[in-house]
Amino acid sequence: MKNRLRVLRAEREWSQADLAERLEVSRQTVNAIETGKFDPSLPLAFKLARLFETTIEAIFDDTPPAVGPTAFGR
Amino acid sequence: MICGVSNAAIRRYQSRFLITMLSYMVFLFAAVWAFPRYHPTGALAYLLAILPALPIIGGIVVVGLYLAEEKDEFQRSVLVQAMIWGIGATLSLTTAWGFLEVFKLAPHIELYLVFPLFCVLTGIASAILKARYR
Repeated sequence: MKNRLRVLRAEREWSQADLAERLEVSRQTVNAIETGKFDPSLPLAFKLARLFETTIEAIFDDTPPAVGPTAFGR
Repeated sequence: MICGVSNAAIRRYQSRFLITMLSYMVFLFAAVWAFPRYHPTGALAYLLAILPALPIIGGIVVVGLYLAEEKDEFQRSVLVQAMIWGIGATLSLTTAWGFLEVFKLAPHIELYLVFPLFCVLTGIASAILKARYR
């Protein structure tokens, strides 16, 4: 899922490893979430939101990416 | 099968796994050594023959404990996915091999080799999955 983790991290000058330590997960986990390859569970998403003092919706964007007209669309 | 990152759950897994592997070597040696010398019969023979399987079963329990104790959901998810690929590949290969054996097109393979095959295939799946998530 698309997300703003990289930006939020950069604002605080945290590395992936810094964020991983704060979340008590591995750096690989932070990377997989950040690149949109792995969607975190609800508890981990809440943990992220609390850490960045914001809401889950402000971090993650579940709207499908706009890809122009599809084979089925008009 | 589990490598790359280090946390308390992984360290516990590693020490438990080491114990099962050491017991496997001892039990296997005991069975192979005692059988031809003492020619056990009845229940004792069964017990001795099954002895090397017990630490392997213990190893499966150790992996289960790791999955229960690992707090990192992504690491857990990668291992579970790798094991599902491992199960699928093992069942596919052994089923195909079984039919080759039926029609005398392949030599007989001992069943105890199925578990190491599963470990190797799960390991390969785990490496591929980790590379894809990188």
